[in-house]
Amino acid sequence: MKRRSFVKAAAASLPTFGILSAARAQSKEIRMIESGGLSGDSIQVGYIDPLKAKTGINVVRESPSSLGKLRALVESGQSGTTLFELGSGVVLQAKKLGLIEKLDWAAINPAAMFPEAKNEYGFGYQYFSTIMAWRKGQKEPKNFVEFFDTKAFPGKRTLPDYPHYCLPFALQAAGVPIDKLFPLDVDLAFKKLNEIKKDVAVWWKAGAQPPQLMKDNEVQYAICWSGRVVGDPAFGLNFAGGKADLSYIAVVKGSKSEDKLAAWKLYHEMSLPENQAKAAGVISYTGPSPDLDALLPQDKLWQFPTSKQNKAVQYFENAEWWADNGEAVNKKWEAFKLSL
Amino acid sequence: MNRSTGFAFIAPLLVLMIVAFNLPILYMLGLAFWEKGQGFTLEHYEGLLEAPVYLRVLGNTLRISLIATIANVAIGYPLAHWMRGLGRRARLVAIALVVLPFWVSILVRTYAWIVVLGNGGLVNRGLQWLGLTDAPVQFLYNELGVTIGMANVLLPFLVLPLFAAMIRIDDRLLQAAASLGAPPRTIFWKVYFPLTLPALAAGTLLVFILCLGFYVTPAVLGGGRVPMISNLLDTLINQIPRWEQASAISTILLIVALLIFAGYRRLDRKASA
Repeated sequence: MKRRSFVKAAAASLPTFGILSAARAQSKEIRMIESGGLSGDSIQVGYIDPLKAKTGINVVRESPSSLGKLRALVESGQSGTTLFELGSGVVLQAKKLGLIEKLDWAAINPAAMFPEAKNEYGFGYQYFSTIMAWRKGQKEPKNFVEFFDTKAFPGKRTLPDYPHYCLPFALQAAGVPIDKLFPLDVDLAFKKLNEIKKDVAVWWKAGAQPPQLMKDNEVQYAICWSGRVVGDPAFGLNFAGGKADLSYIAVVKGSKSEDKLAAWKLYHEMSLPENQAKAAGVISYTGPSPDLDALLPQDKLWQFPTSKQNKAVQYFENAEWWADNGEAVNKKWEAFKLSL
Repeated sequence: MNRSTGFAFIAPLLVLMIVAFNLPILYMLGLAFWEKGQGFTLEHYEGLLEAPVYLRVLGNTLRISLIATIANVAIGYPLAHWMRGLGRRARLVAIALVVLPFWVSILVRTYAWIVVLGNGGLVNRGLQWLGLTDAPVQFLYNELGVTIGMANVLLPFLVLPLFAAMIRIDDRLLQAAASLGAPPRTIFWKVYFPLTLPALAAGTLLVFILCLGFYVTPAVLGGGRVPMISNLLDTLINQIPRWEQASAISTILLIVALLIFAGYRRLDRKASA
């Protein structure tokens, strides 16, 4: 039986038009809100272009992707946006707030993936690291005890203006090993931050800031996203003690079923290691395939968050802890910022 | 024209204001009193009182707004006065220079300060070249940087109304005072300054209230070290997202602004009475 006549036969046997249209239609264009910049370009090159070549489905990208925007989309009724990029902790929050839908993993039928990336509510598509970096020519710290030792390693620092990043690094500076970070000792972390705050010139909000501040010689040391500094000869860096985290792409609550059918196709493309290698060529972040390392340029393996040598020395974000404690810590963070 | 046709003319604007501005504000104010599935609640205000850190950020905002406003007046008043004394052509050039920043994006203007005031910036290189300082002076990423940036962005809001009031002052009034033997200082304080006072008060108030809601400049030039209320609201709205808490803080901000405005109206009425 030809495919066309099979569809006709199936349609004839279905009782209601609603189910019929859901089974038949699949959108030719869906919308995605992602975090923008090179990361967005990597989604285009790695996943959207191959999807379009294979199926003709196009994905229109917008950015940036804050949780507030997602809440506004959902609360104002269906917006036409199907896919939304969220951080690992934010996926839990969005799930709790009822802003995202379950993924149909059977329909996605993915290639092999790391287990943490295959979340009920999101596709973990991009590993990224937050690491220490410095201007070339500075003394080079080997761990976060040294990084925060402003006497032995003089110079101004820039740190993220987010407690999620700063607290675990401060605990490492206080001597806590990376496998004992969680549950976080919040008071100890703030004590350490209070000791070094006078040497922190800038608390950054946007990932583009730290490399620029180092180039301008406003600061000499930074905690920043690995993709912003690797491969630039102006900087030295070290993955030791860094934070490995995973960004997810989730489905907006209330999305139309024909849009979701197209989305499953995109997710499938995202699971293929050859596409992930293309994306890693645009930005040095890696996809969730265990078979990816072999496809990456071997001389650049040290640049990627999940290559064996780097994955071993980093800690992994504990999204559950932050989902339970995030808001309380955030208040303490605001109080800390007032004391600067 | 009778009263009803006058109203007909203004009705479209009124409807636009109500639908596009007043209703969203009411909705925003209402959010703070509402909890899904619970109905009316005061817990978001209670939360503010229990954890006064958000109120302290508001206090910090008021303090920085006051400093930036004073800096604005200190620069803006002499500038407007100087412009009044210029010839016609020079005056036009001066006005153009004051207004020009309005055509440049606030983001660009704010980033330009990094080039000017940074450690390797024009000012610091100049100071070091002149031998006035050994190490770069830290202009940016502190309250000083934020104050400079805010004063720069808001200066036209003060200078333009002030200048408009100053050129309306009749020179003969000043000459009359001089002919009666008043020294320049007395003329300034007894005649000239009181005539500019209403415009100065209005401009100052405008600048202060605009300062309260400033977002871009503290975010870029504050280096995360100058917490202000709109940056906190951004966190509460976009990241957490606790819109109800943000709404409660916004309501308090609105009340503070209204109180300041009421105080101004009272002073204004007393002055004109």
